[in-house]
Amino acid sequence: MSALQTFLLVVDHDKEEAKQIAERIAQDVESKKTSLIEVVQSLGEYINDEDAILRGKAVSYLTAVIRALPPKFLSRQQIQVLTTFFSDRIEDGGAVAGLETLQKLDRFNKALAEEVAQAIFDHFQELQDRSQSQRFQVYQLLNELMINHRAALHEMGDHSLVGIVNLMTGEKDPRNLMLVFSILKVVMMEWDVSNHAENLFDAVYNYFPITFKPPPNDPYGITAQDLKDRLQDCISANSQFASHAIPSLLDKLDSTSPNVKKDALNALIACVKLYDPNTVSTYSITIWETLKFEILNAQEEFLSDLSLDVLSGIAQRLSEGITQISDQLPLAQYLRPITKECSEQLQEPQQKQAKPAQKILSSTSAASAASFTLIVQTVVAPLLTIYQEADGIAKQRALLETLTVLFDSAIQVFGEWTTRDPEPTIDNSLLEFKDQFSDIFGQALMGVIKEEGSFRISALKGFLRLSILRNYFQDNEIGLFVQYLDEILLKEESVGRDDLKKEAITALTEISKHKPRLILDITFPAFVATLPDSDDGSGSNYLATLESLAQISAEKDIFDTLVRRLLSKLNILLQKEQPGSVDYPRAILLTILYVMNQRKLDQDPNLDLYYDKIVVGLCRSATAAASGKAPNNILSDATVLDVLGKLCNLIVRSLPRNKQDEAAENIYTLFTSVDDFQPVPFAPSPSDNHRRTMIISTYLLASLPADCKILPYSTPNMSLLLSDITTRCVNESESATSLALVRHLALLINKFLPKTDLDLATATFDSLLPATIITDPLLTLTTDTIKTIFWISKALVLRLAPKTTQILTTLLALLSSTNPETSTTAARGFTILLRNDEVLSAPNGANIRLLSKQRVFTTLVPLISSRIREVNVSSGPDHIKPAQPDHIKPAHLTALSGILSTISPTLVMPELPTLLPLLLQSLDLQTADSEAVRAATLEILAVIIRDNGVGVVEECGHVQSLVTRLLKTAEHTPKTGAVNAPRLRVNAIKCLFLLAQTPSSDAPAVAKAGKLSPLLPVKNEVLRALRFVLDDPKRDVRKAAVDSRAAWFRGVDDAPEDQDD
Amino acid sequence: MDSAMQNSNPTILNAADLPTRLRPASSRKSGTCKGVIFAFTNYSVADPSEFAIGPYASDESDDDNLIEEPIDEQEIYDLISTISDPEHPISLGALAVVSLPDIKITPTLHDVPGSLVRTATVLITPTITHCSLATVIGLGVRVRLEQSLPPRFRVDVRIKEGTHSTAEEVNKQLADKERVAAALENGTLMGVIAKMLETCQ
Repeated sequence: MSALQTFLLVVDHDKEEAKQIAERIAQDVESKKTSLIEVVQSLGEYINDEDAILRGKAVSYLTAVIRALPPKFLSRQQIQVLTTFFSDRIEDGGAVAGLETLQKLDRFNKALAEEVAQAIFDHFQELQDRSQSQRFQVYQLLNELMINHRAALHEMGDHSLVGIVNLMTGEKDPRNLMLVFSILKVVMMEWDVSNHAENLFDAVYNYFPITFKPPPNDPYGITAQDLKDRLQDCISANSQFASHAIPSLLDKLDSTSPNVKKDALNALIACVKLYDPNTVSTYSITIWETLKFEILNAQEEFLSDLSLDVLSGIAQRLSEGITQISDQLPLAQYLRPITKECSEQLQEPQQKQAKPAQKILSSTSAASAASFTLIVQTVVAPLLTIYQEADGIAKQRALLETLTVLFDSAIQVFGEWTTRDPEPTIDNSLLEFKDQFSDIFGQALMGVIKEEGSFRISALKGFLRLSILRNYFQDNEIGLFVQYLDEILLKEESVGRDDLKKEAITALTEISKHKPRLILDITFPAFVATLPDSDDGSGSNYLATLESLAQISAEKDIFDTLVRRLLSKLNILLQKEQPGSVDYPRAILLTILYVMNQRKLDQDPNLDLYYDKIVVGLCRSATAAASGKAPNNILSDATVLDVLGKLCNLIVRSLPRNKQDEAAENIYTLFTSVDDFQPVPFAPSPSDNHRRTMIISTYLLASLPADCKILPYSTPNMSLLLSDITTRCVNESESATSLALVRHLALLINKFLPKTDLDLATATFDSLLPATIITDPLLTLTTDTIKTIFWISKALVLRLAPKTTQILTTLLALLSSTNPETSTTAARGFTILLRNDEVLSAPNGANIRLLSKQRVFTTLVPLISSRIREVNVSSGPDHIKPAQPDHIKPAHLTALSGILSTISPTLVMPELPTLLPLLLQSLDLQTADSEAVRAATLEILAVIIRDNGVGVVEECGHVQSLVTRLLKTAEHTPKTGAVNAPRLRVNAIKCLFLLAQTPSSDAPAVAKAGKLSPLLPVKNEVLRALRFVLDDPKRDVRKAAVDSRAAWFRGVDDAPEDQDD
Repeated sequence: MDSAMQNSNPTILNAADLPTRLRPASSRKSGTCKGVIFAFTNYSVADPSEFAIGPYASDESDDDNLIEEPIDEQEIYDLISTISDPEHPISLGALAVVSLPDIKITPTLHDVPGSLVRTATVLITPTITHCSLATVIGLGVRVRLEQSLPPRFRVDVRIKEGTHSTAEEVNKQLADKERVAAALENGTLMGVIAKMLETCQ
């Protein structure tokens, strides 16, 4: 059997085998064992066969052989012969693939390309009838010709144009259309289409609008948007389509489907961008006439926005190359009807239609400097006239807002003071109205009745725009505005929600970015002058002033001046014998802290100064106060010391290493010599004031780098320091100092104790809580001891010390103490373990391992769960075991809520089946001191439900019991003595609300699978119970109940809602 | 909207000018504007986990919990002012269809002094005098209040005198329990009302 015959036999079922046969023949041809002519001749009897399939296979054989030949093997002549051969039989299968192989060869030339194209065009009818994958081959061949031999097709001119259109007519397959559109786009852009513009346009426009929905598992991954994009590229490809495209697209806006309208508008935007400006100009007014309805009577917000984009796109195109503004410009003609319509709508600017008119002005005026100028010239003067004649504040306010819209456009066109781009060459046409604006807006802001808050806010916003608009106001004019703002902030009584004052601060902050000098010269002195020398209780409003100062001091120069001024105020206070309330110095320090937090301190050139004045200077003053040598006791106050500590912490953290080392040596001496001040550690019996300096020491310690080797009392090891601090923790009576001490201890253990010395920490732990006494049922520990134990544990657990598990189980054992006091206090301690602390924190370089939370959770939760089960069983009806004391179960539930409230819900989810029953039992607690536990539980439940929907509760089978308990917690029944604080009631109702909310779209599919809502069985119960909650004495509870009922009415339905496509 | 809009260009009130309830916290300390920095006026350095007392005891005193906040006109206004107009995506409050002075709460049974039963009367001002949607708006307000007020409240929704050409007819419809009930069985109508109530906050 000849190679050809074998090929014909296997080609249908074994492609690989067929390929190998062809490759063998190709090798023979290459090695001259046979010739190409012989191969062609061998086809003889088959290629004239009546059976088309057989003919196709025979041609495929030749194609397969050619494909297997090396690219340079065929001579020009051979290529020519083969091309002619394939072209003649293009209707036979395999020929297209052969041609595709041939055209890739270097020796394939333009004439041959033309021949192939001609063959395709001649046989378009046969080709159209083929299967979609074969049509795809044809388009691919054409596409390749377009890429490799475009000149040949281009020279064919109209002939190729018509040919391609004929070929693709009726094509429906999305993958083929993707190719067709891209081929046609080339024709549309590069061919001379004048004779066939309409044909060509119709060929693609037939497909508009595209309503394609990809089948599931579509192997080609073509989306409707891909097709829409390519089609849109075609429609917008050539200006000669305009006379067909624009009227048709505008017609489509009559459609009732928002999606069709959206496609039409997007296509219009593309056309406007790509057609030449003259064409755009021709249709500009027609487009406006149609689109204005879309904007004035907006059906959907996005359609109105797209229409506005079209309008501003036209304005942009028509502005190209304009250097001189005149009435005769196409742009002017386009804008004339627009401004006319808007001006009419703005006659009554407080009415609904004024909003869209404002939007139109906004988007067209922002399009270009020319457009802005033309619009301002026609619109502003009439608006000012209406303003003068306006009979009500509402109308005036709406006018101010309209003007502000134009100011926003001005900023877009001309930039702000800080904008670095070059300015447009056209002058800002608003300049002509400068004085009028200044008068009107100034009048509106300061002149009218002070109660008209929202009117004044509108004026303020407009004035602010003008003040930051580049090269508009002179500095003295902006200065006037700044003075107004100062006056509002300093002199005016506050009204209602103080929105005006808030806006004034925002405005000053904004101006400080553009004109810091004005703020320094005007606002600063005025504000600082109102700060009193001391808080004498006369009700001075220094808090508001400091707040404003802090807000406007983001700029470097202002910041620096602020810090200096405030420090000198503080120093005066520190020298006074009768400085009044400590609230004032504390507020000053807080203000400095706030502004320093806003800035990048480590790049600040004045950092050294801050270090000397604040860290060194004020710490010394604090030691003086501690030893009773200061004129007053400001720096003995715990809250003042706390703020000072934070400030020191912030500054020292930003210091270079050598300075940090200096600070490290001084954490206890606080920059004084031993004669003046004795450090707290190892001091025999320091006074309250003296011990309080540990607050600063702790903040300083926190700010040091973890590898700091020169901590005081750390050689040879920290053993003595740790036990001294521990003793102080356990015996401290003042809460602020106590907190500082436990944090100090935790910092030492967590951050500075070397790994090799961890035994020292464990030893400290054991000294407070020896393993032996855990088993002692009468164990009693003081609150301070328990607190210290938990802080030591926190320090060790966060760094995942080797004994973490042992520590955690020991802590849990504390809960089973028969002493209710000890058990309950320890239970509350569990929140300490993982709660984010502002001192022992990552920014302070604490050693917090990522898995520590998970470790605590996975260690403790199973233990708590089984312990509670044990208690439940033993308190059951059959008293097999001795009953457990009453406090044990609540203690465990408290500990659980403490842990849960400090870890992320993602950790909780996998354990939900275990946890949910425990959470429900927490809700059953009814004692007064369980309120915190129940509140925490409700918060956790809320997060779980919000993130996962009702589905997860249903999977655990607890919908009914959860709903019952939530409703019980929502009750307000003072007569029965049940204690559900308002906040608990609100949170319980919020959980019910979240249950009924349909889960967000990113929720797992399980949560929204199309089945009956699992809430349906309890719907009536919930609605009935909530109806009584509507009469709750607390407004917040009622509000929550209203929202929740509405959600249950709306969201819990018999039939799942159909999703709109 | 199937038919053409009846009033395509109504006047709109600014959201900031609508009546709102000032939280007692901000009204009590007038003159001090505490923002970011001094959010906590009584600055405290106590351990936030201070476990001798529950975390909530500090910021919510028992006294506060006992003060009753009876349902007042503002609360009813807040319930209905965020309903959207069926013609515009604008709230009834902003269109001044409902306004605070037109809401009254009165004891229903004047003869029974201790009775807790109250009547909430809401007068509606249509944007134009011949608005055929007045009934729908009235129905929407009614549905919202019936869903949101406790059982001891009677709801009375009427068109304000002199603001509508067929006010009497509309009032009759709104007052007729059976006609209201029948209307609520109507799927299309309920659809419109559900859409109006969607924006309720």
